[in-house]
Amino acid sequence: MYTTRRPRRDRDNQTPRKKRTCRFCDAKELYIDYKDEKKLQRFVAEQGKIIPKRITGTCAKHQRQLVRAIKRARHLALLPFVSDAIR
Amino acid sequence: MSSATRQYETTFIVNASLDDVQVDGVVSRVQDTITKNGGTISSLNKWGRKRLAYPINKRTNGFYVNIEFEAAGTLLAPLERTFQLDEMILRHLTVMLDKKAIAARAASQAATAASAAAAAATAVPEEKPAVPGREPLFADPVDGKSA
Repeated sequence: MYTTRRPRRDRDNQTPRKKRTCRFCDAKELYIDYKDEKKLQRFVAEQGKIIPKRITGTCAKHQRQLVRAIKRARHLALLPFVSDAIR
Repeated sequence: MSSATRQYETTFIVNASLDDVQVDGVVSRVQDTITKNGGTISSLNKWGRKRLAYPINKRTNGFYVNIEFEAAGTLLAPLERTFQLDEMILRHLTVMLDKKAIAARAASQAATAASAAAAAATAVPEEKPAVPGREPLFADPVDGKSA
């Protein structure tokens, strides 16, 4: 029996997305240090927000460590809570 | 009292409008509270004056100091107290170093030591010859003959 079926056009036509990998896993990093503000800055948006892992590709385990490091850095005024430009 | 000691790390921000002697005084007071309460300081780093990412108590600069020490958990209460009583300390953060952090620290220290050794080796070239007279075990035969 013929059944109508929505063609899977949307997914098939898309160019395959490049798989993002967790940078911390790639680098085999043991510990994300809150003192390393330059490294943390890459995972913070211009506003000062923490970038979600769906965008950076960080794995869940490292995202948790990263978030902790960023929050510690913010407490010590190494990173802003809100960027100056926004304020 | 339990003898279990742990590795800790504390970072604090001293008022940067003090001159260096006064900053040293504040730092030595913190050191004293650690050593008097049975802790041993393993390293002390003064990062110096840095711009704060946001103003704290209407100040935009701070003098950062980082101390690593080994102590029992009972040390932390008096340490926190000295931090809070000292008006020249703008912020402080004490963190326990877990196994991973200690391992990472050891690795980074080893890396810096290795790079220092490498730098020394390049400065004074004393190349160790690979084991003499030994052919590579899994060399590509074609390559081996052509080379």
